[in-house]
Amino acid sequence: MISAESAAVFIGSSIRLATPLLMGGIGELVSERAGVLNMSVEGMMLTGAFAGAVGSWATGQPILGLAFGLLAVLPVALLQAWLSNTLRANQIVSGIGINILVLGATTLGYREIFGERSSDEIPGFGKWAPPFLGDIPVFGQAVFLQVWIVYLGLAIAIGTALVLRFTAIGLAVHAAGMEPRAVDKSGLSVRGIRYGAVTFTGLMSALGGTFLSIGDIHTFTEGMTRGAGYLAIAAVIFGNWRIGRTIGACLLFGAATALQFQLPAMGVDIPNALLIMLPYLLAFLAVAGLVGRQSAPASLTVPW
Amino acid sequence: MPDSLLTLTGVTKRFGALTALNAVSLDIAPGEIHCLLGENGAGKSTLCNVIFGIHPPDEGVMSLNGVPYRPAGPADALRLGIAMVHQHFSLVPDLTVVDNLLLGQARGILDRRACAVRVEELSAEYGLALAPFARIQDLSVGERQRVEIVKCLMRNPRLLVLDEPTAVLLPPEIAALIDVCRRVAARGCGVMLVTHKLAEIKSAATRATVLRGGKTVAVSSNPAEEIGVLVRAMIQRELGPLGHAAEAALGLSDPTPAEARAAERPHDIVAQIDGLSFLDSQGVKRLDNVTIEIGRGEIVGIAGVEGNGQSELSAILSGMLRPTGGLFSVQNTDLTGRGPHDVTAAGVGIVPEDRHAVGCVTAMSVAENMFLGRLRAFSRFGLLRRAAFHRAAADLMQRFDVRASGPGAAFSSLSGGNQQKAVLARELTLSNLAFLVAAQPTRGLDVGAVEAVYGHIREACRRGVGVLLISSELDELLAVADRIVVFYRGRIVGSCPASPAYRERIGVMMSGQPA
Repeated sequence: MISAESAAVFIGSSIRLATPLLMGGIGELVSERAGVLNMSVEGMMLTGAFAGAVGSWATGQPILGLAFGLLAVLPVALLQAWLSNTLRANQIVSGIGINILVLGATTLGYREIFGERSSDEIPGFGKWAPPFLGDIPVFGQAVFLQVWIVYLGLAIAIGTALVLRFTAIGLAVHAAGMEPRAVDKSGLSVRGIRYGAVTFTGLMSALGGTFLSIGDIHTFTEGMTRGAGYLAIAAVIFGNWRIGRTIGACLLFGAATALQFQLPAMGVDIPNALLIMLPYLLAFLAVAGLVGRQSAPASLTVPW
Repeated sequence: MPDSLLTLTGVTKRFGALTALNAVSLDIAPGEIHCLLGENGAGKSTLCNVIFGIHPPDEGVMSLNGVPYRPAGPADALRLGIAMVHQHFSLVPDLTVVDNLLLGQARGILDRRACAVRVEELSAEYGLALAPFARIQDLSVGERQRVEIVKCLMRNPRLLVLDEPTAVLLPPEIAALIDVCRRVAARGCGVMLVTHKLAEIKSAATRATVLRGGKTVAVSSNPAEEIGVLVRAMIQRELGPLGHAAEAALGLSDPTPAEARAAERPHDIVAQIDGLSFLDSQGVKRLDNVTIEIGRGEIVGIAGVEGNGQSELSAILSGMLRPTGGLFSVQNTDLTGRGPHDVTAAGVGIVPEDRHAVGCVTAMSVAENMFLGRLRAFSRFGLLRRAAFHRAAADLMQRFDVRASGPGAAFSSLSGGNQQKAVLARELTLSNLAFLVAAQPTRGLDVGAVEAVYGHIREACRRGVGVLLISSELDELLAVADRIVVFYRGRIVGSCPASPAYRERIGVMMSGQPA
């Protein structure tokens, strides 16, 4: 039987592993709702992870690392926005191009900067539990003791949902993805909205990336995002471009990843390779349209 | 005459070698309904776009209330009180009426309740019934147009420009729209109504300006009495030789009674559509148990507001869409679910709705487009005999009056009317043609081309070809068809002989009520 302790650990690690996906996913959701399929989430996350690690290592201050990560992603995000809006390049090809470029650049940078010191620990964020919640027996520490970025991510997710639903900005973002002509005719700038949306994706992805390097494990390794950006995109599709369902999809992918560590610990004998496949298999099913009816924004990937 | 609201003097607009507007002068007074008339391609839409700031004029000046007016874009036009309802709506389908109205107008947190109140006020004031919290995708075309108009009125415009607003409306909706225009004008706002239908001018216009080939060719301050002059100016020929189809296309005459044509109803069935149904990928029923029989030499017209299943029907009959139920056969050959190749081989000619997407290859020559399906006839040992091929094409072009620089001319260099004539030439010369499906064959064509297209279709009928004619222009159907079948939400609501006497009844059926 599953003990309360292992259930608590499982929930806690699901949330922890879902956090980078959640941040990338929220960013990607906004971008796709505005009509830009931003394939470079992976590269943006990796940029954040690397720049965050460098910043934190150089200054000794994780918070400065975080700031450095957010700053470093801006050129990448603006490059993506420029390619997909102004130059009207194919969004999928340009996004994958950026991912490959960033993988190369961060790998090179890592070897140049950290080369001989790769075993050094990089200063990272400590963990924190909200008052009262942290004191709950069994669950308190296992579930709620998390790096504060996790809570920041949840707060941004809720904030984004409210902005999309109740503000003029949310309306404009939605319209830019559904019927950009209506946006243009009403005197707003479709390109402006889409530049903004892609920049938001960049910042959110970078936040997810810094969580990976200086929040979760306090180190940087080459290509450490390992497809998290693609999973975030899959989560948006799985969530049918709705924010609540996208958050749910991120948690599901997080839980599927957490099973890799949980099941062997519980003595369940399933080949590890199958478990590693699980989140990607779920993502594949989502992208293939096998989960529910899909209703993508009408002008997704269509440049204005 | 009251002082001018907007004055255009010598406005010229060129697109490359084409002069779309040539020294056009025009003025619109507050409180008047000014009709802008002209055939397709006369420059009406370009003029609207110049006024609304989408295209800057190359020459000429505009002034608004006596002040020079040089809009850098639609935002300027809106700021100065010029609002426009475009031919194609720009509404976000999955949002509510209120959200569409707030788009671009609101800042910060949305106050949907206040907006709904404002919508209700405007609805009452102008007689524009609208449910503020209905989603656009659930509204009819007429209701969507009302949303567009309310969107304009919320800005308290001084000038309201309506570009071809009646093309998509049911007859009763047209009357309601004209009433709205009158109420708007009565409040001192200038209204510019763009149209190519003369009936509307008769009932609404205080003044009219006619454009032809980008030039102002006639101005009338008493348009209701001077229809004849306006029509001559618009199409540059006397009214006499105009055929019925052309007159009907202008909304000018009541078409000929169909009784004479339908006197001998053929019993020989050419094509049979039996219980055809189609569910789209979203599970929505686009066609619901449609049954039509088309006789030899008969023209059956499909009437209805666009988007009520006509496109799906023509796609199924052309073999481009597989029905989810029912049968379709031509001369006792079952063609249900067969591809375009089999359909053509069975003697079905197709004039598709969107000729650029599926009717032709615009980058290829006229000759290639005419014989793409019959290349084997012009091949020897697998090589194309260009000379014979071009001779045959030149011959067809002459028979169907396709005007181009030659058989080798790029298809894209032809005007819309000539492209359509070329497509017709190809389809009507199928060796075993028995059944012709023509979907919106006159869309975007000028009056002369409309007449030619229907002339060829009638000629095919006399040879015994059965024709299914799908058109959103009720007047054209009444003039050309023998029998009219009315579609609403994928179902047949009813059918009747194509006679002007049934116009009202058809109008009622188009709104979904059986008559």
